[in-house]
Amino acid sequence: MLTKLQLHLTRVFLLIFLRDRQSIFFSLFFPVIFMTVFGFINNGEQDAVKIGIVNKSNSSAATNFIELLHGNPLFAVTEGTEAVLRSALITGDQTLVLVLPVSFDESSEGTELRLLVDAAQVQQLGLIIPVLEQTLISIEREFRNIAPMFSLAIEDVQARSQRYIDFLLPGLMAFTLMQLSIAGSGFNIVEYRRKGILKRLFVTPIKPKDFITAIVLARMLIILIQLTVLIAFAVFLLDVTIVGSFASFYLLVMLGTFIFLCLGFCLGSIAKTQQAVMAVGNIVIFPQIFLSGIFYPIESMPALMQPIAKILPLSFVSTGMREIANNGASLLEITPSLIGIAVWFVIAFVLATRLFVWKEVAH
Amino acid sequence: MPIIELNNLTKKYPLPGNKSESFLAVAGISLRIEAGEIYGILGPNGAGKTTTLEMLEGLNDIDGGTATIDGIDVQTNPYKIKELIGVQLQANEYFDNLSLVELLSLFGALYGRSIDPDELLGKVNLREKAKAKPGNLSGGQKQRFSIACALVNSPKVLFLDEPTTGLDPQAKRNLWDLVLQLNRSGMTIVLTTHNMEEAESLCHRIAIMDHGKIVAEGTPQNLIMQHAPEPPQAPLHGNIEDVFLALTGHELRE
Repeated sequence: MLTKLQLHLTRVFLLIFLRDRQSIFFSLFFPVIFMTVFGFINNGEQDAVKIGIVNKSNSSAATNFIELLHGNPLFAVTEGTEAVLRSALITGDQTLVLVLPVSFDESSEGTELRLLVDAAQVQQLGLIIPVLEQTLISIEREFRNIAPMFSLAIEDVQARSQRYIDFLLPGLMAFTLMQLSIAGSGFNIVEYRRKGILKRLFVTPIKPKDFITAIVLARMLIILIQLTVLIAFAVFLLDVTIVGSFASFYLLVMLGTFIFLCLGFCLGSIAKTQQAVMAVGNIVIFPQIFLSGIFYPIESMPALMQPIAKILPLSFVSTGMREIANNGASLLEITPSLIGIAVWFVIAFVLATRLFVWKEVAH
Repeated sequence: MPIIELNNLTKKYPLPGNKSESFLAVAGISLRIEAGEIYGILGPNGAGKTTTLEMLEGLNDIDGGTATIDGIDVQTNPYKIKELIGVQLQANEYFDNLSLVELLSLFGALYGRSIDPDELLGKVNLREKAKAKPGNLSGGQKQRFSIACALVNSPKVLFLDEPTTGLDPQAKRNLWDLVLQLNRSGMTIVLTTHNMEEAESLCHRIAIMDHGKIVAEGTPQNLIMQHAPEPPQAPLHGNIEDVFLALTGHELRE
């Protein structure tokens, strides 16, 4: 149970943190920018491929073919002379130029269509050519009056369409909570020491336990509010869906925050200057940005890295949060993540209490 | 009856250039400070003044000897000592974003007391600054506020580490008045200073420290009688600065 002093101190730290408008603003600003950019860039559809058509044939087959291409969302079609389109291709205004020869008509047989490309520009060539071929085949079938032998009936079983932003949000939340927690304990401790505030507190009868409890509680509350703002932004403005239970999601947020606050206390105890805490902090933060499956799944990393990546604290937190948010997993279903989190919880707590020696930290 | 007793108090620090060797920052000092006294500790930079205070305040471990305040051993009962003393440190920064009133009630809470911040601010003449943040106070106001913070537990002994360093003459006099006023209410005050005039006019007794040792101790008058140079060397009359320089030399420190 909390003592009167711990409550008073928690309230004081809440006031201190809340009145620091600037850092609250920036802590929200960057994740919001991030989410907005990824929310818009990855709206599911790809940009249409700009294709120029040089139609040298007057046949209805050619007009038919061009119409089919017009109807395909994959292409943005421009018609013109070869000379104009060729220079447009060179300047990059066209991605491909397709030349329909004079002999392109209903009676064509083995007619060759020239496709002009700037191979350096077109990474999706392998994707585009089959589509072009497919279009040609369907025209051919039409004229030869052949029914296709097979057709694909595509049935989407995934009820929710998942965009990159849906994948990103839980990881980004995990990353944000790590940043805020480490800065919120570690950087604060170093700052208070530099100003002599810890020394001043030390000469009063305050117990380190009360001091730490208050910072942890106040920080956790602030971080929960910050994340709630970010999640609300994502859900209401970017239309991100969180499938699983919010309660489980927030439980993971709180556990993660506790782990990283403890690690922050460790950093603040080891590093004596603001520069040192930044440097040591980056050693902890940076690898986790890239290895913890925040921006892309851990499974897509080189096999050699995966075992290391998987045991990082942020990996457990972000994987657990993603399972809940994207797949609606229950706490039982994310037991592996929870075990990892529990282990890190104990490690971080023990380390923090060992390293945070009140008298030494105060000096 | 002495309220503070130091017996052969010692503090070792590693040598700055050579960590394997150590030197004595405080080299076995013994002192008796009477209840109700204003006691000044003088000394050049690095003489061991702040280290001595920090050992009494519990901020620094005692490496040798003993210290008691009001009969309580400093080393074995740090929390009892903290209840007894009020401390103003050289660095007097506080949490940003908290007003003076909020800071004072925070300090009150740390001692488990609910205090009247307004009354304390009145004591140090800062009542009209109640809503201000410490960052917006002048040097003198900051020092007075530090003293207000040190008073929240109605301490028996008040430690002031260079309280007037960097203050203009008005602010300095104002602070002396405050110290005298607190002392009249029965509080024992131990202060360190570089200001000879302060030592001479404020302190009942003075210890002059150098190289971790006390080189002279007594009332300002006695020290002047004993140590100030003879009249031919000092044309008008000696003062504590003459005593100080006669005892610690003219060599520049740090």
